Amino acid sequence: MEQHPSYTELSALVPKYPRSAGALFQTYNDLKLAQQWTDLEVVDLTSCSRGALKGRRPKVEAVLCVIPCSLAESLSIAWLHDAFGELGSPPHIYLAINTEDSSIVYYKISPGIVKPPV
Amino acid sequence: MPLIGPTQNRQGGTKKGGARRADNNRIYAHPLPVTFEKSQSWANHILGLFGVSGTRVLNPHCTGIYDPDTRSVWVVDSKDAMILWRRGFFGKGDLSRSEPSWRTRQISAKRAAAGKFMTAEEIREKRRAERKQFKLDRAAAIAQAAAEAEAAFAEGREAKSSVIIPSGATWKPQQSVPDESPSPSPTPDAEQTPEFDEDSVPDLEHMQLTLQEAFFLAWNLDCLTIIDPTTSGPMTLKHIWTAFQQVHGIPHIPSVMPEIYANRFDNPFLVNYAAYHYYRSLGWVIKGGIKFCVDLLLYKRGPVFHHAEFAIVVIPVYEDPADQETSPFELANSQPFSWTWLSTVNRVNSQVQKTLILTYVTIPARSRVSQELLSSPACLAHYTVREVVLRRFIPARMRD
Repeated sequence: MEQHPSYTELSALVPKYPRSAGALFQTYNDLKLAQQWTDLEVVDLTSCSRGALKGRRPKVEAVLCVIPCSLAESLSIAWLHDAFGELGSPPHIYLAINTEDSSIVYYKISPGIVKPPV
Repeated sequence: MPLIGPTQNRQGGTKKGGARRADNNRIYAHPLPVTFEKSQSWANHILGLFGVSGTRVLNPHCTGIYDPDTRSVWVVDSKDAMILWRRGFFGKGDLSRSEPSWRTRQISAKRAAAGKFMTAEEIREKRRAERKQFKLDRAAAIAQAAAEAEAAFAEGREAKSSVIIPSGATWKPQQSVPDESPSPSPTPDAEQTPEFDEDSVPDLEHMQLTLQEAFFLAWNLDCLTIIDPTTSGPMTLKHIWTAFQQVHGIPHIPSVMPEIYANRFDNPFLVNYAAYHYYRSLGWVIKGGIKFCVDLLLYKRGPVFHHAEFAIVVIPVYEDPADQETSPFELANSQPFSWTWLSTVNRVNSQVQKTLILTYVTIPARSRVSQELLSSPACLAHYTVREVVLRRFIPARMRD
């Protein structure tokens, strides 16, 4: 992992949170290189002991938050609640669930009931 | 060379289904990375009459690097990655949906932007937007015709519909910005491509194998050498066997596994490997099933031939319940599940025409089987695998 050019951006948080290092690395690469997100920055999410990502999706104005996690982990509502609080209460966040074969599924999570778009 | 766009034949047109199938049969002819070379000489024929085989086994000898953080083995060399993908569909490109194709897609996107024509993805988006517009137009026309018929009926006269309802064959998209729309062409002609330096695009992608795939290739076929990232030297089979289990111990000190995690039959790697080995040895191609809320997807020949028919959920069962109480691992699906969960997973998979299979892997009891067997894959003989196929039954409708 250290040889990959993306490591320089992640070098602060990978040693700090080694358990979620793999998920952060995979999600960062997917967003930056495959999904072509712009203005990607890594933020320290201390309440969830991991790094999270903020950036802009192509053709979307707003800055979106993505929290990487791995399939083996168990999450709780309190964990998500803390994450929302620490990220500044965004209208929604994306949870990036990473698997060992490098597939990532993204789930959009909002802190309440959301009406479907008309 | 990954097949990204529509394949071309010599006349320059796109290939139809039969030719594409023949192409696929040729490219993906080998079910495993190891191939056989039959020698046709008469000396070998004579030997064959004596029962001595003249066939040679060709081993591609691929290399991969073990990465404990992502719990996978990375194949960085693109030739090795292609061999492993084309012969058995092992692995997945970490920036792609199947085989590593990121660099090729980047180059074609840059060419398309430079030459002002569209990539395959843009053509697809345009086609979808046009279809959506067609459906809106058609719905509006139907509504208008219905309203006219209502009005005519209310007035008591005959309805004469002056509205033409568009059909798929006759509808044309409105050209709102005629000068800006680029001429779509699926593949660029060689003459139109401007000077573009392919070497400026680095290859930042690798092929990722799960620990189960990597161990299957290394142990059973001996065609994968796994490199230790810290020492840069090849790992022995024994080292690979222990390292792949240790990765499920205390994660932030991967090389140190306190006693409570060590030497357990319910190590997640072993349980998942038992299921993986079972289906691979029966000839199925196995990919991950996270997109369908399951553990594994089984393909008869491979993803390029047909969609997966079966979705597998691996359910570990302890032969001795006391083992489960003392277990430090929280194996997924080891607790009794609810009907709502089962119903949800079955619904998701029947929507996509896959059959759900519950695969019960029985974990041997520590009281019955000696722990010394865990030092080698010989312990796998003590795991049993049973399947239960799930289909939704509706008595009122399924009489035939």
